[in-house]
Amino acid sequence: MTWRVATIRESRVETPQAKTLVLDVPDWPGHLAGQHVDIRLTAEDGYQSERSYSIASAPDAAALELTIERIDDGEVSPWLTEEAREGDQFELRGPVGGYFVWKASLSGPVLLVAGGSGLVPLMAMLRHHRATGSQADMRLLLSARTHEDVLYRRELDSSFRDMMYLTLTREEWDGWSRRVDADILREVGPGPEEHPHVYVCGPTAFVEEAARLLVELGHLPAAVHTERFG
Amino acid sequence: MPPISRGFHGRRQTEVDPSRLPPGQYATNDFPVLSAGPTPHTPLDEWSFTVGGAVKEARSWTWDEFLELPNEVVTRDIHCVTKWSKFDTEWRGVPVERLLEGTDPWGKFVVAWCDGGYTTNLPLADVLDGQAWVAYEYAGEPLDPEHGGPARLLVPHLYFWKSAKWLRGLNIGEQDEPGFWESYGYHNYGDPWKEQRYWSD
Amino acid sequence: MSHHTDGNAIAGLLEERYGTDMTATMRTCQSCGQEWAIGAHRLYRGAGLVLRCPNCRDLAAVIVEKRIERFGIWGEELV
Repeated sequence: MTWRVATIRESRVETPQAKTLVLDVPDWPGHLAGQHVDIRLTAEDGYQSERSYSIASAPDAAALELTIERIDDGEVSPWLTEEAREGDQFELRGPVGGYFVWKASLSGPVLLVAGGSGLVPLMAMLRHHRATGSQADMRLLLSARTHEDVLYRRELDSSFRDMMYLTLTREEWDGWSRRVDADILREVGPGPEEHPHVYVCGPTAFVEEAARLLVELGHLPAAVHTERFG
Repeated sequence: MPPISRGFHGRRQTEVDPSRLPPGQYATNDFPVLSAGPTPHTPLDEWSFTVGGAVKEARSWTWDEFLELPNEVVTRDIHCVTKWSKFDTEWRGVPVERLLEGTDPWGKFVVAWCDGGYTTNLPLADVLDGQAWVAYEYAGEPLDPEHGGPARLLVPHLYFWKSAKWLRGLNIGEQDEPGFWESYGYHNYGDPWKEQRYWSD
Repeated sequence: MSHHTDGNAIAGLLEERYGTDMTATMRTCQSCGQEWAIGAHRLYRGAGLVLRCPNCRDLAAVIVEKRIERFGIWGEELV
């Protein structure tokens, strides 16, 4: 588990608040969908900060990609989304995480529940599903504030439209305009009788509420994997 | 030698009087929220504060009684063991020596105990003589629960884990009893100017 | 609302210490008896790190990092 040097190869705007960084990491060992990396930035005077970011790219992809959402007054995200450019470097450790992982070799349906930037690791799972031609019944329920905040909007629309359910919490449209609740979860499915692997990711409050609702609907706690972004 | 992330400096305050910054610390304008567990929420009508243990006379106050006590506004720098320092923080609180008046303690050590089970230990001498308060206002407002409200201990000359949040009492003892972080390897005393972070420092 | 994340956030730290992923390891709470993955345990950041049972909030582990040399975890003391 060593710290490697990551170099930014390219950066791509996803939304007004989020960018994807394409990274070159020598001897990158590959990763599983859902895993993340720890990154460490060092200032000129030696001051350091560490943060973790989920890997957005599928294991099958040509390059390692992270999607960073800018947090106002953040310690690290403003640098990554506004200052960092091609050629810039930081340290990276990983991939890490064995609990919040989906592999195409796993059989059974999959329910992905994302709150805002919680979509990032689930996008790696969706991309992995597509790249492997997996026949698993995979569904995404995404909760975002407005259409403009939806990460990977074009890709979701072109590649995953039939698998995807959207609810917006701060915009009226002809779809759902409310927080994820039991009715929405029931309509999205799959139900607990199908024993889906469930992955819930996003802010802590979102994850805990969604997980609670899923268990109340009958899903086994052990089948509901959670990743709280805090 | 790690690569420099060009242009990165974090959210540190950069124009800082170095004489106010203990070794290994950096200054922040934020007020980070740190905790060993969930925020307790004791209703004020169930809250009480107790001074007890190795004292001739234990004392206890309800919230209303507590607010009637002589209190003062103080401005101090605070230093967290996780390396951030915050200058000129303003608090309203009751000086601890006021709370000990008339209790006649014979022990030399204090354990601060709190809702949620947190504890920390200090020498009794370190909470007397204008060094410590039980604070219930920060920056002119009632102390937020995430920062320890309704009331917390305030001992600015030590690392801020000693300024126990959700404080409910001070227990005087004849023996020193390591509190939560102290029993897991943090320094028993915690002087930021001597960089006493861990037990072997 | 208390600020916490979960054991996933320290996957790297734990792997560095134990040489393998720990987040998928199941742990039975000594207090409520429920079994949860370390990755699902609540993580609090204080002076050090605290992992708690997601069901009953009972203490599961305390992690103290001293100059990246020493850890105390699961109640065990390391020298």
